[in-house]
Amino acid sequence: MIQKKICMVGVFGTGKTSLVQQFVHSMFSEKYHSTVGVKIDRKEVDLSGTKVNLLLWDLAGRDEFEDIPTSYLRGSAGIFYVVDGTRRETFDQIADLRDLVNGAIGDVPSLVALNKKDLTDQWRLGKGDHNTLVEAGLHTIGTSAKTGEGVEEAFIWLANATVKSE
Amino acid sequence: MMTQNSGVGGTVDSFGLTHRGKVREVNEDHFFVAALHKTLDLRHTSIEELDAFEHLRRSEDHLFVVADGVGTIGGGRIASGTAVRTLVTYIGRTMGCYYSYDVESENEFIEQLENAVKHAHETLLEEFSSKGTGPATTLTMATLMWPRAYLIHVGDSRAYHLRRGRIRQITQDQTMGELMIDQGIMTEEQVKRSSLSNTLSSAVGAEMKPSVGLIDLNWGDTLLLCSDGLTRHVPDDAIAEILAQADTAQVACERLVDAALEDGGRDNITVVVGRMVENS
Repeated sequence: MIQKKICMVGVFGTGKTSLVQQFVHSMFSEKYHSTVGVKIDRKEVDLSGTKVNLLLWDLAGRDEFEDIPTSYLRGSAGIFYVVDGTRRETFDQIADLRDLVNGAIGDVPSLVALNKKDLTDQWRLGKGDHNTLVEAGLHTIGTSAKTGEGVEEAFIWLANATVKSE
Repeated sequence: MMTQNSGVGGTVDSFGLTHRGKVREVNEDHFFVAALHKTLDLRHTSIEELDAFEHLRRSEDHLFVVADGVGTIGGGRIASGTAVRTLVTYIGRTMGCYYSYDVESENEFIEQLENAVKHAHETLLEEFSSKGTGPATTLTMATLMWPRAYLIHVGDSRAYHLRRGRIRQITQDQTMGELMIDQGIMTEEQVKRSSLSNTLSSAVGAEMKPSVGLIDLNWGDTLLLCSDGLTRHVPDDAIAEILAQADTAQVACERLVDAALEDGGRDNITVVVGRMVENS
């Protein structure tokens, strides 16, 4: 079976772990658990008859103490960036994070999840921000780890992109 | 209990200690601390580029395990002992081929670690299947292949990481209390007042949902694995202070156990400390 390593990348508290939990276990936790190091989950997906085993590496988010160790990125077939729509700074750091990733492993299929779509009334992002990502060649999908909206779609899109890029 | 050299750049100073506590009649915890040596004793070769074999000649990994048995009196001790013994035997049999992680073999390596835990789980189920609901155990294991530590976790024995005085809990307790909080059914205060914080939602030998993770270590970091007999009594900031001030892993273990005993020692206490000491 094809195996693809996907790394979840973003600032702390954007919902990376919650997105993985929703996708793999159909669960959402009300309590925030800060990830230390990397948490690894697996999920088998069927892409039009092709079975792919996704290895989901949920990386600790960047914070004021630690950057993302690039050693965790080695061997990644795809990068799943996560932005918290209610925290502007998590969007502002995407370009910098992308530079970090590209510098470490080159340009691999990537996606930006604009997360916490269930809280759009509190979002600090505008239409121009979405266009910025599109112009940078990044596919974006609105997601809510809480309701599950867009979650399956996002992971399947990235899984397909990694297979097509072979 | 041991102190071992890890090779390049520094040493891994490790130690383990367990104590029955002041209340329990039996110590149902077990631990395991080991250095796994893999050596290539080169006798003769026609190959000129011997540097390629250097990592084989000095490879050394470390294995830390803590297990806290649950069951009727004595059963928990058997469960944790059986699980640790089975786990270590499996690892010894299957992991000799891994000298260092690389992208291709890393997933296979992680699967082998998971298989080792599953094997321990199945062994417990087989041994006690004729006796109805058998004893079970928590299991927290760290396999250190410098600089990467791979963690497999089942239950509520914890793993902590200390870096520059900042302590962080790597594992998430698998208890019914945590499950209630996660699902928004109960608050942390409500769980603290109930018995759910001590009821496992996942255990080896029962319903098991292992979580898998890893962390890259730096010289100067410390890893701690411990049973809840420590964390019930000693808060995280006090644990951090003890780990930061201790000059050796043995001293750290002794002080952690003493701190838990001083606060009442209501449960068995087990600690395993691994200090990444940079060569001076």
